[in-house]
Amino acid sequence: MSGEIAIDLMVNGTEHRIAVPPNLSLLDCLRDKVGLTGSKECCAVGECGACTVEMDGQLVNSCLCLAVEADGKAVTTAEAEDEDLGSVRDAFLQTGSVQCGFCIPGMVMAARAILRDEKADDAVAVREGLSGNLCRCGGYNRMFEAMARVSARQARAEAPTGPVVGTDVERSGGRARADGSQKFLADLTIDNVAHLKLVTLPVAHARIDGIDASAAWKVPGVLDIVTAVDLPQPLMHFGPVYKDRPVLAAAETRHHGEPVAVIAAETKEAAEEAALLVEVSYTALPAVTDIEAATAPEAPLVQPPELRPNDPRSGTNILNERVTEWGDLDAPGADVVVEGIYGFPMVTHFAIEPHGFIVDARSDRMTVWSPVQHPYLLQRMMADLFELPLTSVQVLAPDPGGGFGGKQNPKFEPLVALISRRIGRPCRLVLTLEETFQNVRRTATRMKMRTGFTKDGDLVFQDAEADYLVGAYGDISERVMAKGSYLGAGPYRTPNARIRARAILSHTTPATAFRGFGTPQMSWAYEGQMDKAARALGIDGLAIRMRNLARKGDEVVPGDFGADGHWEQSLQKAADLLGWQTPLPEGHGRGIAVAIKAGATTGLSNATVRLLADGSVVVYAGTSDMGQGARTIFAQLAADAFGAPMDRVTVVSGDTSAVPFDLQTSASRSTVFMGNAISKACEDLHRQLAEMAAELSGLELEQISVTNGIIHLPEAPVPIMDFVCAELRSWGGELVGTGRMRRHSLKDHPLGGTPAFFEFNCTAFEVSVDEGTGEILIHRHVTVGDVGKALNPLQVEMQDEGAAIMGLGHSMMEHLVLGENGEIRNLGALDYRIPTTKDMPLSLVTGIVENGDGPGPYGAKGVSEGAILCTAPALAAAVAQATGVVIDDLPLTPERVWRAVQTRDR
Amino acid sequence: MLGFDYARPEKFDDVIALLLEAGPEALMLAGGTDLVVALRHHVARPRLVIDLKRVEGFRAEIREEDGSLVVPAGTTMTEIVRDRRIQALFAALVEAANVVGSIQIRNRATLAGNICNASPAADTVPLLALYGASVEIAGTSGTRLSSVEDFVRGNRDTDLGEGEVVTAVRLPLPRQKTASTFERITRRRGVDLATVNLGCLLQADGTVRYALGAVAPRPLLVEGGGDPETLFDVATPITDVRAGADYRRAMLNVIAERALARARSAL
Ligand SMILES: Cc1cc2nc3c(=O)[nH]c(=O)nc-3n(C[C@H](O)[C@H](O)[C@H](O)COP(=O)(O)OP(=O)(O)OC[C@H]3O[C@@H](n4cnc5c(N)ncnc54)[C@H](O)[C@@H]3O)c2cc1C
Ligand code: FES
Ligand code: FES
Repeated sequence: MSGEIAIDLMVNGTEHRIAVPPNLSLLDCLRDKVGLTGSKECCAVGECGACTVEMDGQLVNSCLCLAVEADGKAVTTAEAEDEDLGSVRDAFLQTGSVQCGFCIPGMVMAARAILRDEKADDAVAVREGLSGNLCRCGGYNRMFEAMARVSARQARAEAPTGPVVGTDVERSGGRARADGSQKFLADLTIDNVAHLKLVTLPVAHARIDGIDASAAWKVPGVLDIVTAVDLPQPLMHFGPVYKDRPVLAAAETRHHGEPVAVIAAETKEAAEEAALLVEVSYTALPAVTDIEAATAPEAPLVQPPELRPNDPRSGTNILNERVTEWGDLDAPGADVVVEGIYGFPMVTHFAIEPHGFIVDARSDRMTVWSPVQHPYLLQRMMADLFELPLTSVQVLAPDPGGGFGGKQNPKFEPLVALISRRIGRPCRLVLTLEETFQNVRRTATRMKMRTGFTKDGDLVFQDAEADYLVGAYGDISERVMAKGSYLGAGPYRTPNARIRARAILSHTTPATAFRGFGTPQMSWAYEGQMDKAARALGIDGLAIRMRNLARKGDEVVPGDFGADGHWEQSLQKAADLLGWQTPLPEGHGRGIAVAIKAGATTGLSNATVRLLADGSVVVYAGTSDMGQGARTIFAQLAADAFGAPMDRVTVVSGDTSAVPFDLQTSASRSTVFMGNAISKACEDLHRQLAEMAAELSGLELEQISVTNGIIHLPEAPVPIMDFVCAELRSWGGELVGTGRMRRHSLKDHPLGGTPAFFEFNCTAFEVSVDEGTGEILIHRHVTVGDVGKALNPLQVEMQDEGAAIMGLGHSMMEHLVLGENGEIRNLGALDYRIPTTKDMPLSLVTGIVENGDGPGPYGAKGVSEGAILCTAPALAAAVAQATGVVIDDLPLTPERVWRAVQTRDR
Repeated sequence: MLGFDYARPEKFDDVIALLLEAGPEALMLAGGTDLVVALRHHVARPRLVIDLKRVEGFRAEIREEDGSLVVPAGTTMTEIVRDRRIQALFAALVEAANVVGSIQIRNRATLAGNICNASPAADTVPLLALYGASVEIAGTSGTRLSSVEDFVRGNRDTDLGEGEVVTAVRLPLPRQKTASTFERITRRRGVDLATVNLGCLLQADGTVRYALGAVAPRPLLVEGGGDPETLFDVATPITDVRAGADYRRAMLNVIAERALARARSAL
């Protein structure tokens, strides 16, 4: 079409004359032409605000603005050097507002506008002013605090001196996230890269009758158009458990958005245009998208039985089953039996960073850039698929802009590698948010529960049928079912239990890991049962839980690892923070719930720590920092081990060819597994320091000991930093320490090993409900975690608040809505709702219980999932008390609450 | 976004000429908050995009003329919200404009664009109909006025003819004291499109009128005072991803009552 148009653009005070095509957005112009990649693309429809810039003094979404419209205008981006932006950045960092950081450049621009309007001290204006910017890490509460701080023009606090473990040190890498310089996957520039675009169908299940790409080939700049038949045969299949997922759909698509072809082109616009011109003739086939349909006797099979040879269930849609049982369900003693069927719908991760992949597979080596949570698993999978030695596959994993489980397992890396091989160029596939929705989601569940209690409220039995609706391919969802259902009786002393769980395939988005890993679904049911019993027996929700909660050492699954915390302390603390015993205001309702999740069970984490001649420390840790701030914790551990200032410690990760193996970043494992590995590497260095001190001083090794930061010599202690600076240079070189933590797998254990720790959480709410409209107003939201030891209390708070807000999302508004052909009807940000600043509770309080009883460094446990585990049942209990109606299906949308109230009144 | 040509005329006459030349393949661009979304989703595939923002008069000041407040087509929601005359005389329009999207959206979205886009869920359109507003349209044969009520004919369907462009929105100044309020239902408190919305106009003489949005292909005007049971029977809500038809219908009564109560206390 039309040629390029020259525009004059003043960006952050610098003038640019740029030639742009009319269909280039201001966002792409800033990113690709001006080279400022701070402004991000997520939704591309004006909902998320990640692209927010200021144009002629007004805040705008640069994704909805054409570059030509900005001709002659002044644009300010998050990279700008100005005082207001500086104060906002400082306040964001100090208050822990910056997690993954993907939303932050847009967010600081919105915050700056509030500050400039002199509204930073007005809480309502702050909520309004930030509501056009979504943060999926859930940093809103921290941001409110940041704005209060900015308005008070509080000076930057001095960095603390002394040990840093246990203090609120600033997030490592936070500054780069606040000034837009952090490079996420889509920000990388790779020479000569080709752009890929997927061709998909508008239905879930279809037979592909033919593909005509002739019109698409005519688009200038198209390099390749590939369908399954063009790829090496047999077609490559992959998956973390079953190799059931084809790189492209061959004869049949099994879920909405499964690609049938892929375009490679010189520009993303050309790829996009060509993708629209590929004509696919197909026949829509019946799609099974819910548990009833998938388990009906005549249900179409989602996967052909050949995909799972040797599997006795391959003639059904049941991917796997698990039964966890103990005691005797028929044992007498139950005075009251409560029943319920609990529905938890499909929800999607909605990381603000959409998924993206770059692969350079031109030669017999391969470089893969992927913001994946498990770089080493990806490396091994690619090596296996392409029959390469591990040394020839390098995975570079830029920090994810939010993962939440969605970025654990490989998605399109194999396909991108195949195309890169075919065309002999590096290839890049960055998904839209809509496409991202089509590729990751949480398992939906239906739990049928029967629970027996004595008249005093003691649990007698728990009988559960836990059906997990997984997608068209197994991904890791079977493990989600296994882990979630294994603790299906909750954190209680349950004398008799049976949990029969199934993972059921369907023609829907492949379900994968998602924060909480099957537990929020399970707790929705068992905590719902607790409240049903409490109501039936006239016992208070706190009391019935206090009564049944496992005390430290009690086994929640007989024969397995016992309760590893004083969970009753968390329960009590949450009740106190909520004001459980205070008189209930008219029309209000309160609810409280608890849940546990099994932490990581097995696996290996390696760490290498280098102590350099000037006292600098370099930590090599393969953990991905997706917002949880792993790097900060690691740096704190190393800093204290050597008494080094934080700014002398660097943490290197994200490169499989430079950093040693770490199994994965998941299950809140990193602080414990990698943290211990680093502590051991530091101990290794302490030993080496003692040897060196002995050698240099002529003393016996036994006369010297080394503790955190100090070498104890007979005459006097010497700080490690002084010793290193004085001696290491002359000694020549540096010291290298290694450490690892590994937990063996146990063959007979249903989970392959006992959990290293439990994540325990208690959540409580006070709400009121507008019965006319069904809207819930949260007056107070409290969450308390049993964290062992908070290595960085601010980061624990960030994680807890973030998980809590994510929990509010699935409790109140999130669900994927499917159409008749299994197509997702609310793809993307316009109709899939997640919480904004205006949806925040009137008050959100997080608390922790620290008894130093975890297996990690200083007695820490993992923390990043706790506050999402039982948000929904606590909220529903509060709504039930306020309205008298009990709702067993999520989410509690205004409409659903209203409907329930109508039935009550009828 | 697929490719298109771009024009940035400086006169409404040039806009008209361009529109006639390119026919239905030309689309006008104001704030772009609807159009660019449509371009990105390939719902709109124009050959030519005509940017109105630098047309003379498009971004003129809001002015009073012949008993009306004339809001030039380029006036954004942010500007509507800040205008003192609109605040004083058309309070509900301010309330509605203030919930359109986020600050970022309101800084770009125009009042005229909200009308021309003709979405049944548009927040300002029912109110404009309620106030008896009209759009001023320029075309080859000069200017004409079309009442907002008639102009919006259905979902994405307006009375805009070939070679025509909306130049302003005219709000007749009320002849007696009135109070007006706006209410809507959304799925969350933050940015959202209306599940249903409603405007209420109460006059000093006690007459009440309502305007309903998102319950029919176009805004509906309803005289108040009738039987509450059947008052909103004209509504024909649908069930979609946002809500069920029965919820929409039930919410009309709930928000009407609230809107009227607020209007009474404001008068
Ligand atoms: C994230 C987001 C949230 C939103 N939330 C809301 C909401 O809560 N409530 C709501 O009502 N709307 C909402 N909208 C929709 C949108 O912002 C409004 O409809 C806006 O008023 C459109 O104005 P615009 O100037 O951006 O129009 P544009 O996108 O520029 O144009 C819209 C249409 O009108 C035509 N047009 C524009 N101006 C003229 C003219 N002068 N003459 C003739 N034709 C013209 C264009 O050709 C186009 O077809 C939202 C949009 C987004 C992206
Ligand atoms: S608002 Fe522009 S990318 Fe989401
Ligand atoms: S920090 Fe906001 S999305 Fe991650």
